[in-house]
Amino acid sequence: MKIKISRQYIYLSVIALFLFVFVLLFSFLVLIPEGKEYRKNRLELKSQFKEIRKYQNFHNELADRLQDLQKKHRNIILAFDATFNPERFHKQNKAYFATLYISPLKPIEGEDEFVVYEVNTTSQINSPKSFYDFLDAINKSDWIVGINFPINFTHDGEFIKSSFTMKVYCNDKNSTKKIVKEEK
Amino acid sequence: MKYSYIKPRKKSAITADIKLTLTFFSISILMLFLTYAFLLYKSYSFHKDVISINTKKTMLSSSIEEMKSRILFIEKEDVIASRVKTQNAVLKDSITNLFDLVPERITLSTAQILKNSLVLKGITPNKDVYNFMLQAPLRSIFNRTYSSFYPAGNGWLYFVSTNYTDEEFSMKQEEDDNEN
Repeated sequence: MKIKISRQYIYLSVIALFLFVFVLLFSFLVLIPEGKEYRKNRLELKSQFKEIRKYQNFHNELADRLQDLQKKHRNIILAFDATFNPERFHKQNKAYFATLYISPLKPIEGEDEFVVYEVNTTSQINSPKSFYDFLDAINKSDWIVGINFPINFTHDGEFIKSSFTMKVYCNDKNSTKKIVKEEK
Repeated sequence: MKYSYIKPRKKSAITADIKLTLTFFSISILMLFLTYAFLLYKSYSFHKDVISINTKKTMLSSSIEEMKSRILFIEKEDVIASRVKTQNAVLKDSITNLFDLVPERITLSTAQILKNSLVLKGITPNKDVYNFMLQAPLRSIFNRTYSSFYPAGNGWLYFVSTNYTDEEFSMKQEEDDNEN
């Protein structure tokens, strides 16, 4: 018995077979691995987004805390950033003294990121009360100034001659830059 | 001589069936390629997102580090400022107490306040006034007290009082107090 197959059927079969093979190969070799990669990337991206959200939240919390601290300690920050100005100091505190002489700044050993300058002062006061008032006022001044030993009081006619050392605390970077500029 | 009533048609290998099949196959292949293109685009987009997330993460972490160090620095500034202010307040109290100690009958000419010592120079009507009214309170404050006198000429006496606080002694005393 002779089976008669038309040419169209043969063409159809060949094309169908070709398509079948192509689809199979394309799917297993290209599409499925790419799909797996897509799924993996999607999961990874999701976890990355989760992580970045955590980072962002932590960042926002820190920013809030820093802002609060900066608001709360505004005066202290400004005081540390300010360069000590003997003329301004003299102007601010001359009310407490009959005469006030301030020596130039002398850098001494610093603390961590801070530079400490020593200033020697000699002055004349009318009564010890003026000195107490000065000690109260110094805590509200534009700089972080600590009165240091030795403190000498000598009776000098109507006045009391006083001499003492002050330690002025500044931020390392700002103060050194500014002082170098001033020296130039 | 004609064998048929219709005109002969041209025969083609691509029949209507094959055309339909080819259209169907083409759509299938196009869909496969579109899916692949979608996957490729998504993969590219993920890659881009990951890069942007990493950049943002780096920026955030450097900003976090910067803020942490800034917070630490402000806290340090606050500690130093508080310490200096407390020292100034303590110093004021010490000087106030010192001048309050000196009775009216004794006149001071010099007071030298050092970290662990105090030197007072002045004039007193007599030794007893000095001993009872100035030296006694000074002895209660300082560990060692030395006094010397020399005549002033008008019957009064110049005096020099040197007082020391021994840090070790004070620390030992504090420890004893704590134990008790």
